[in-house]
Order: sequence, then structure tokens, then C-alpha cells
Amino acid sequence: MPDLLPEIQDIFRDIFDEESLVITRESNASNVADWDSLAHVNLVTAIEKKYKIKFALAELQELKNVGDMIDLIEKKLAEK
Amino acid sequence: MNEYRWEELALGLKHEFEATFTEEMARSFAEISGDVNPLHVDRDYAVSAGFSGPVLFGMMTSSLYSRLVGVYLPGKYALLQGIDLDFNAPVIAGEKLIVQGEIVFMTEAYRRMEIKANIRKENGKLVSKALIRVGMHD
Repeated sequence: MPDLLPEIQDIFRDIFDEESLVITRESNASNVADWDSLAHVNLVTAIEKKYKIKFALAELQELKNVGDMIDLIEKKLAEK
Repeated sequence: MNEYRWEELALGLKHEFEATFTEEMARSFAEISGDVNPLHVDRDYAVSAGFSGPVLFGMMTSSLYSRLVGVYLPGKYALLQGIDLDFNAPVIAGEKLIVQGEIVFMTEAYRRMEIKANIRKENGKLVSKALIRVGMHD
């Protein structure tokens, strides 16, 4: 499966309206400026749309950083 | 006022209503917003600029998206969280407007929906279009 990080970074750049934003697997709400609850909902919505997957709230609550999110996306894509 | 709960909502659910703004309403909006540009409140100026009457504020006609969400879709339990908006054509006071909205995406985990909406004139002319992000409160 291709590395999803560049695609996820594009989503972040769009949501945060910041073209130079750099996202790593370690990025999380405490080290990305303006990553608040509403931005988080916008991110999840954008990811659900792009990959045509659905998250459960419990799954999202377990995520600690972008790396966890990518792993979850890959798991869901593999199950499709 | 509609009182949809999240469980009652579904992709494709639509609502529509009509509204008309008067010149007096435009003057009230100028007072509220502080946008006193004469195009919106001075008939003579608007006519000299080539319009048949004062041009309604785009943000005023777009307030109908707030009504769409807060009163119709989903109504009472709505939380307006964001809106992407384009203005496509001017509206003159007195013209009837038709507002339509449809749920096009639902983020189940956070109970947040996206509504694709537009405002048209009676002749079908597109006035504005919007993608509205709406959450729910208890």
C-alpha cells in the first residue's frame, strides 16, 4: 500500500489553509497550531470522503497522533 | 420549527422554503452590520449604477442559510459550524427567493452533516450556493 502520509498532509494543508504545513506520523493536536475540536471534525470528515470509509467514535478516541490515524485508515482500506 | 434528531436524519433529506426581502429590511441590515454602502440602501444610487433598485446584501440573502439550518434542516437542535459560500447573481429588494438544502454527507462519529444548499430566484436564476457544515446539540 502506498505511503498515505503525503495525501494526509494535503488534507491537513487544505483544512488548516496552510500550504507549508508539514505533518509527520508524530503530529497531534498539541503540536499542530489550531488543531481544535472543530478542525478535528473537519479532518475526519475530509478523510472519510477521500477514502470512502467510516470511523466509529471509539476508534477515533483511541488515536494518539497522525501515525495512528494512518494505520487505522490502512486497516479500513484493507478490509474493504 | 423542525426538531430532527440525528437518528431521524438521512442522506438525501431535503427542505425548501421561500423568502422575500424589502428595502426596509435592507436598511435594517445596514444598521446591524454597519455596511452602509449606498448600493444597498440608496435607490437613486443603485439605479444610477445600472440596477432596477437597491441590491440586497449578499450576507443578508445568505442569512437564509441560517434559517434553513436553524429552522428546517435539522431545525431546533442545529449547530451551524461552517459554510463555504459563493455569490452568483445580485438580488433586488422585493424579488422572491427560493432556498433549497439537502444533506449530502454525514460524519456519524461526530454527528456532523454537510448540507448542499442554494438560493434561486423564481425564474430559476442561481443567486448563491453553499456547502454548510452542521452539528447537533442535545
